[in-house]
Amino acid sequence: MNSVIPIIPIAATDPIDIQSLVQPDRVHKRVYTDPAIFELEMDRVFGQAWIYIGHESQVPKPGDYFTTRLGREPVVMVRHTDGQVHVMFNRCPHKGAKLVPDGSGSAGKFLRCLYHGWTFKCDGSLLSVPLRSGYECTALDLKDPQYGVRKVARVATHRGFVFASLSEDGPELKEFLGGVATSLDNFCDRAPEGEVEVAGGVQRVVQRNNWKIFFENLHDTIHAVATHESSWRAAKEEHESMPAGTPKPFEVVIVDGNGEPLEFWEKLELKGYDHGHGFMEGIFVPPTDPVSLAYVASLEAAKGAERADEILRVNRHNTIVYPSCSPHTSFQQIRVIRPLSVDRTLVEIFSFRLKGAPEATFQRTLKYTNIVNAPSSNVMSDDLEAYNRVQEGLGSDGGDWVSMHRAAGRDQPLPGGRASNGNSEMPSRNMFAAWAGYMGVDTGVETNEQTGSAE
Amino acid sequence: MNFRDWNEQQDLTQFLHHEARLLDEHRWDEWQKLFTPDGLYWVPLVHGQVDHLNHASLFCEDALLRSMRARRLEQARAYSQQPPTRTVHVLGNIALESRDDDAVCTVRSTFLLLEWRKTEQRTFGGSVRHTLRRADDGWRIQTKRIDLVNCDAPHEALQVFL
Ligand code: FES
Ligand SMILES: [Fe+2]
Repeated sequence: MNSVIPIIPIAATDPIDIQSLVQPDRVHKRVYTDPAIFELEMDRVFGQAWIYIGHESQVPKPGDYFTTRLGREPVVMVRHTDGQVHVMFNRCPHKGAKLVPDGSGSAGKFLRCLYHGWTFKCDGSLLSVPLRSGYECTALDLKDPQYGVRKVARVATHRGFVFASLSEDGPELKEFLGGVATSLDNFCDRAPEGEVEVAGGVQRVVQRNNWKIFFENLHDTIHAVATHESSWRAAKEEHESMPAGTPKPFEVVIVDGNGEPLEFWEKLELKGYDHGHGFMEGIFVPPTDPVSLAYVASLEAAKGAERADEILRVNRHNTIVYPSCSPHTSFQQIRVIRPLSVDRTLVEIFSFRLKGAPEATFQRTLKYTNIVNAPSSNVMSDDLEAYNRVQEGLGSDGGDWVSMHRAAGRDQPLPGGRASNGNSEMPSRNMFAAWAGYMGVDTGVETNEQTGSAE
Repeated sequence: MNFRDWNEQQDLTQFLHHEARLLDEHRWDEWQKLFTPDGLYWVPLVHGQVDHLNHASLFCEDALLRSMRARRLEQARAYSQQPPTRTVHVLGNIALESRDDDAVCTVRSTFLLLEWRKTEQRTFGGSVRHTLRRADDGWRIQTKRIDLVNCDAPHEALQVFL
């Protein structure tokens, strides 16, 4: 029998002094392990930021819906008969039943509650109630908008990507996205028709770690060579076992890239923007296999060689749209991060089709998600193990602080953000500066908002 | 469709039992040799999934990807295999679904898989469809399609071949 040491979460009985938990270059372990801090994050981070809900193509026709969670709130994205997309709480204003079942589908022309049959237009406004006469001369006024389905405070779309916020106040979506709007733009510009659509199903992975550990890993370049040794070695050995001169198959390229030496990662540029966002440069040389070449030809045919070249030159690996998603623009997928509890996180992986590109391009996208991000991924399984060991280690009494010192103080300023070399821990510090802002404390890391140098 | 006779039933049943044993004993090399060169190991992501090219999957592995997985599982620094995953397969309801000619047939079975790693035991179950092709020295797998009962559930890591 293996010995199983239970990890006892730190009791959150003391009032939380969050200010004492975050410093410019390190954070206290409690921010990852304390259930009370998790609840505060749901109120303050997920209650304020713009959170990715889904893509408009998931609700192509009036009445189509897609349910998800905004922080801990169950919400539904619905397309109204006038074509507009609404995001509302998945809750009937009568007695509270969830209005549509979890998942996606079509509600038809109206949303009809299963419990007593109240019906709503697809914008959430109340259409009819049975026994209307019963409400005459009562305090319940059916014309009162509170008897429509409650909408989330704000909804906005950037090139088909739908975001919502539970807060009335705060920056507009475009201002919020800042420098990473260019990643979403490039995601779409890569389509010959300039648009993308969700296709091919969604993979869901449950992780035993705090959601922030996952976000930090997205730009933690130097873990790859260590954590992924088993998969990049296997990929390299596979290629070595092929007849000499065999070109590297796509499957090998996307796995063995993790084995690049530390000097390789150092040369990449990392960008961090206000609100915790950022991106990392592409790590793969644009491939020259027949599928890639046919795709490039389709883009050139639609946009001309010069514009196509300009688009493809924007070569990015993971982008962080803090705190809800990570688009991968060159392989057309978005990972959506849904915190479940202080030590459980759900990641949903959506694949996208580039409208107007050859079908084989989309099939390659699926190959990428299957190999790199599916629950069965050889690459990600070791990430999950690392996250879990971090979570378990932080639950121990072996130390209180988590270091984010690497290359601290060496960032270069950018409009609306900062840049660093590829092996800096700037992205973690940048995310914690945003986190502290949402949580109402100051880490001492200067943001451009504070220095007033934003574009 | 019925088995032609007791011999055919034994032949196919023993093949499936042998395959399951290779998996449970981590005899990946021998297992890979059971496939035809263009054989496919496929675990769909959704119920009734019709193809593996235009829809994401839980596993979708050709010879190259099977070999990469097997090599990884044997790496000393496969951290998520510290300790290695242990499994046991229980097969049942083995039935002949179709026989194209003497060289190709489709066998359907159901399975329960108990998996243990680190601190927890997980259970998987579902149905399997093997499309088999006869070679000189026995059957080869053209396709192994595994339909998990909970294919569309959120999953933790799936590391070994099911
Ligand atoms: S709870 Fe929805 S109609 Fe009564
Ligand atoms: Fe990783």
